[in-house]
Amino acid sequence: MNKVTTAEAWSAEAIEAALAAQGIALASGRAERLARGQAALLGAAAADPVLGGLEFEADATGFAHAISRLK
Amino acid sequence: MNSIAEARRVAPEELRRTCEKRIEQWQPRINAFLGFEGNTLAGVPLAHKDMFYRAGRVSSCGSKIRRDWVAGETAAALERLDAAGFADLGRLNMSEFAYGPTGHNEHFGDCRNPWNPDYITGGSSSGSGAAVAARLVFGALGSDTGGSVRLPAAACGVTGLKTTWGRVSRHGAMPLSHSLDTIGPLARSAEDCALLLQAIAGHDARDPISSRESVDDYSKEHSGLRIAVSSAWIERNAQPEVAAAVLSAVKVMTKTPVEVPPPDFDTLSAHCLVVMQSEAAAQHARWMRERPGDYSSAVRARLESGFAIPAAAYLEVLRARAASLERFCAQTLGNADVYLLPAIAVHLPTREQTGPRGGADMPKLLADVTRLTRWVNYLGVPALVVPCGFDSRGLPIALQLVGRPFSEAKLLAAGRAFQRETDWHTRVPA
Repeated sequence: MNKVTTAEAWSAEAIEAALAAQGIALASGRAERLARGQAALLGAAAADPVLGGLEFEADATGFAHAISRLK
Repeated sequence: MNSIAEARRVAPEELRRTCEKRIEQWQPRINAFLGFEGNTLAGVPLAHKDMFYRAGRVSSCGSKIRRDWVAGETAAALERLDAAGFADLGRLNMSEFAYGPTGHNEHFGDCRNPWNPDYITGGSSSGSGAAVAARLVFGALGSDTGGSVRLPAAACGVTGLKTTWGRVSRHGAMPLSHSLDTIGPLARSAEDCALLLQAIAGHDARDPISSRESVDDYSKEHSGLRIAVSSAWIERNAQPEVAAAVLSAVKVMTKTPVEVPPPDFDTLSAHCLVVMQSEAAAQHARWMRERPGDYSSAVRARLESGFAIPAAAYLEVLRARAASLERFCAQTLGNADVYLLPAIAVHLPTREQTGPRGGADMPKLLADVTRLTRWVNYLGVPALVVPCGFDSRGLPIALQLVGRPFSEAKLLAAGRAFQRETDWHTRVPA
């Protein structure tokens, strides 16, 4: 499993602070639900073995070439 | 008069009168249209999701925020349809900012399924699916970021094409998530989708991700297409009526399906969501700071989620995108041309179950509905949804054909071949 995105799930307090720092105010109780949802989502994404096998040189722009090459 | 080819042989005034009569009859029941101030060019009548801009016309994007916003330019796709001789009857209902899979809209009223108004139309191109199904128009444009063409096509029993990322210009179309957004047609048949795609496909310098790949002849036949399928997965995971309809369709399409293991739908869907949430949050950041109360609670919650995704996680998922596409082409498609699966693996939920007063099981219901569409957007590949049956409640069931990048011509040929052998696409709600 990839370590960058699974180091630790964010707590509700951390989520609330992170969003407040971006100017986004959350309704009461929303941070807890958001923390649970994002922990599940990021955990599921990070479980992909493809992430662990990526070449160091792989970057996000490679997809534009891949989509033409693999037609 | 059930196809664009047939309609082209009829006088434009008669076509328009026929469609207007249907609209008068159906609009109060399904709320598919948001406005009728479209151009009056003569031609086969279409209408489009209210996120394709036309200069001088309101484009609400299904939102309160843009309820009265007037576009300053015309979408590339609309320009091309105008040039190809299609008429635009007006603006169709949609999920707010194309960010919802059901067709609910608290600002303009829900779009309702013509087969049974208690059930969802699918979204976000809800009006496009409903209007084509009820035969109010011959076709409609939709956008597909996580399933927004395919879900309403499947739920309303029409044919819908999610195009390859970059195949159709997004210039003048409302953005949601630039790495995933695609534009595609919904119509009465694969044949009609091919005609509409032929009109709108091709490079456009005004869209930075528009592809320079040559445009195929989408009406060309492709015989001997090899169909890959994961039958055991479908039997295990799809609702039995859905599994039976889809596996029966496989038998119609090929005598020799290639059995393959399924892609990891859930992981690829998670990647899609990470990208979609991050990019949608960035797109809406200013309004989310300045007027969050003008969003519906559901869309606001979805947008908030994107602000809680670390930039490194977002970019890691994008770094893996090329490798994931390579894996799909090599391991799932292999020597096959098309991968066949259900469009929606479960029974459609009602509007009440998935609306503002939905219960605790609503997140699972929505996840089930979208389970088999988002992974396709992450891979950027095309997918065609074709009706293949009805469930015991009289609601449509649809299959999905997924291909390699820029293989729309093969998907449409496979869809046409299936529709020559079946009549599901000709059924019309009463």
